[in-house]
Amino acid sequence: MDANSLAGVRVLDFTGTLGPYAAKLYANLGADVIHLEPISQDPMRDIGPFYKNEPGKDRSLQFLYYNTGKRGLALDLSRKSGQDLFVRLCATADILFESFAPGYLESLGLSYDRLSGLNPKLVQTSITHFGHFGPYRDLPGSDLVNAALGGWLFLAGVDNDKPVRSCDNQSYRMAEAYAAVGSAIALFFAQRTGIGQFVDVSCMESVGMALENAAQYWDLEGTNRRGRGTEAGSATVHPCKDGFIAIVAIMGKNKGMWEYFAQWMKEENIAEWEVFEEDRWIEPAYRKSKEGYETFCRIFERFTMQHSKKTLYEKGQAHRVALTPVSNGQDLLENPQLIYRKFWQTLHHENLGGDVVYPGAPYEFGELEWRLGQPAPRFGQHTADIMLEIGYDQNQIETLSKEGIIHVG
Amino acid sequence: MSVNLKGALSGIVVCDFSWVGAGPIATNILGQCGAEIIKIESKKRPDILRKGGPFKDGIGEGLERSGYFANRNPNKKCIALNMSNPEAREVAVRLIKKSDIIINNFRVGQMEKWNLGWEHVKEINPRIIYVTMSLQGVTGPHKSYMGFGVNLNALCGLTARAAFPGKRPYGTGTNYTDHVMVPGHTLFGLLAALIMREKTGRGQTVEVSQLDSAIAMKPSDAMAYAANGDILGPLGYGDPDAAPHGLYTTLGYRKWIAIAVFAESEWQAFKQALGHPAWTADPRFATLEGRKANEEELNRLIEAYTQTRYAEDLMKKLTHFGVSAGVVNDARGAIENEHLRQRRFWAYLDHPEVGSTLYNRQPVVFSKTPAQMESAAPLLGQHTRGVLNEMLGYSETEIDKMIEQDILI
Repeated sequence: MDANSLAGVRVLDFTGTLGPYAAKLYANLGADVIHLEPISQDPMRDIGPFYKNEPGKDRSLQFLYYNTGKRGLALDLSRKSGQDLFVRLCATADILFESFAPGYLESLGLSYDRLSGLNPKLVQTSITHFGHFGPYRDLPGSDLVNAALGGWLFLAGVDNDKPVRSCDNQSYRMAEAYAAVGSAIALFFAQRTGIGQFVDVSCMESVGMALENAAQYWDLEGTNRRGRGTEAGSATVHPCKDGFIAIVAIMGKNKGMWEYFAQWMKEENIAEWEVFEEDRWIEPAYRKSKEGYETFCRIFERFTMQHSKKTLYEKGQAHRVALTPVSNGQDLLENPQLIYRKFWQTLHHENLGGDVVYPGAPYEFGELEWRLGQPAPRFGQHTADIMLEIGYDQNQIETLSKEGIIHVG
Repeated sequence: MSVNLKGALSGIVVCDFSWVGAGPIATNILGQCGAEIIKIESKKRPDILRKGGPFKDGIGEGLERSGYFANRNPNKKCIALNMSNPEAREVAVRLIKKSDIIINNFRVGQMEKWNLGWEHVKEINPRIIYVTMSLQGVTGPHKSYMGFGVNLNALCGLTARAAFPGKRPYGTGTNYTDHVMVPGHTLFGLLAALIMREKTGRGQTVEVSQLDSAIAMKPSDAMAYAANGDILGPLGYGDPDAAPHGLYTTLGYRKWIAIAVFAESEWQAFKQALGHPAWTADPRFATLEGRKANEEELNRLIEAYTQTRYAEDLMKKLTHFGVSAGVVNDARGAIENEHLRQRRFWAYLDHPEVGSTLYNRQPVVFSKTPAQMESAAPLLGQHTRGVLNEMLGYSETEIDKMIEQDILI
């Protein structure tokens, strides 16, 4: 094994719209990741936005992102020879990620007991909406519903307002992140003991991990908190010339923090800057009052509306005020820090006739190397290669292909 | 084969200098999986979350009543070590010699001031994994910029789309990036390094950029801008591929039901569940495209139906017909939720000062090495004597002397 990669760790990824980020984390560190696709194709291929806004099976930007660095094999799991292929692949794997409805693999005779009988060190990690036991096990899930049931969505609003939803199906992403972590823990254990295990990760529990302190507010104080956002200058969002900015000018009774802000407003010589020098701003109760919040917005926004996100970001930070832009996609691509650090990665896609820009490394290591890897596989692109590797011959591959049990891309 | 190990990470020791958010959440998960976490604090510099609400019975006196702190720190040992005293370093060095992982989320440079940067630590213990978590990386024009959770949410692009069209963006209402994106990548990175160490025998650094790790879990906005020049707009509670998809008022205080209808079969099931009221036959609603084009009216009609009914009843009825639907639970709803209770997601642990109080388990269910929820969050310095004596080999006399010298406070 190279010191700079997880080469030698084999990961099977039989997931679709729910699940693919887990295996991507392994692929980006050099593990051998095989994305298994049903013969009906990964439904993620049909999710927009698409490259150049033209729908197409190889043009979904999310499919491309979540599956870079993976090889692709397409098979029909509902048929006996497809199941045999799946079992043979599992015999060679360290980790199997799958996001089938609980009970589906068992119904095909592909239970964890059977797979681990052939490969005792196999870690099978199932990523589902509600998990493999409990009364909701068989309910139809979705990102919005998972986020709602777990208590997370409720926090995304104030007073009596309906909550708003976060982008990119965060209940899925949370489960995937924890599934990657749980699998790495189980893999570490399997490498030490030879014992694999079944790992059950649900979206609903994963969102429960992100309730901040809301569960404890109920348990300790008997209140159901909602989101922040109307305490003057303490985690508030304000409009500016070309969008919005977020600011934390004070936390609790931290007078020192507020003084940086007041000093900045004085230097800018904004109208009514003297108001910010009053001691009442140090009191959370005043900042939370309607008068406090409205006064802050009136004075501060008169200033912010004169300037761009970028200018306010730089000016605020120069005055030691925690102010950041509310970035959109364009702001992110033009962010000087991300450009300096070469965060954005570009891959040329011949079949698309152009370049696709991808988010890059979330971390850097002393020895391990993060790499984006090859473009996401076309449907069945590596079916034949992989089958040859695990001992099928050319004739068998052709036969299975003709029978529609595999797709050779 | 019999397993004598207590947890998957049994035998792994973590020297934990991290505080507040993402760091303690990461080590919380390691601790529940069997690692021994030694949390370093000092009365001179307590984890500031100890002063953050909620507090048992709303009484915020002292350092031991915060539920915010407690839920991130169960199953850990805490030693009081005053690092501003130069003599304290020797205690840290002895702990580092025994540790597999050392983690901090200080500003860049703090560990170096104590001569505990990577260059020093690798000499003390070449097998150690050295984990740091900067806000935006350790190089670049914004490397010293400051920000809290709300700032990072905004900067990484999460906030912009979590909004109702025409209103100021809201976001998640929490420090979301601290709860999932940053600890998730930190954990995966350090586990990958730990897995590599089994092969190479060497430790290494793991540097997480909080901004980069957040963007990695929300790729769409930047990729769509790069590919198509499009700015993806606010989501409200909708979804481009589904209708109806939203939150609908029901009977009760701040009570809504989440409903998500993607496929044609789900729309048919939805109509059936409602008993085919006349408006569902409106030809404008016959296709997804039609429902998207007339979504506002569709939502109004659905809400007229839901607002005279109970959310729990609606969930039962809709899911019975195969429609994804769920109550928007507040914290109390999530704590009392039958599914989460049957999965033992919540645990009540006995704390010496505040008694039996609520914690959540990490969201990964292992079949063979179940997570352990054994002890409540530690009092500040609760384990100083035990750890220094039993683990680090200091005599009681030496410990007494160091207490007198203000080293162990």
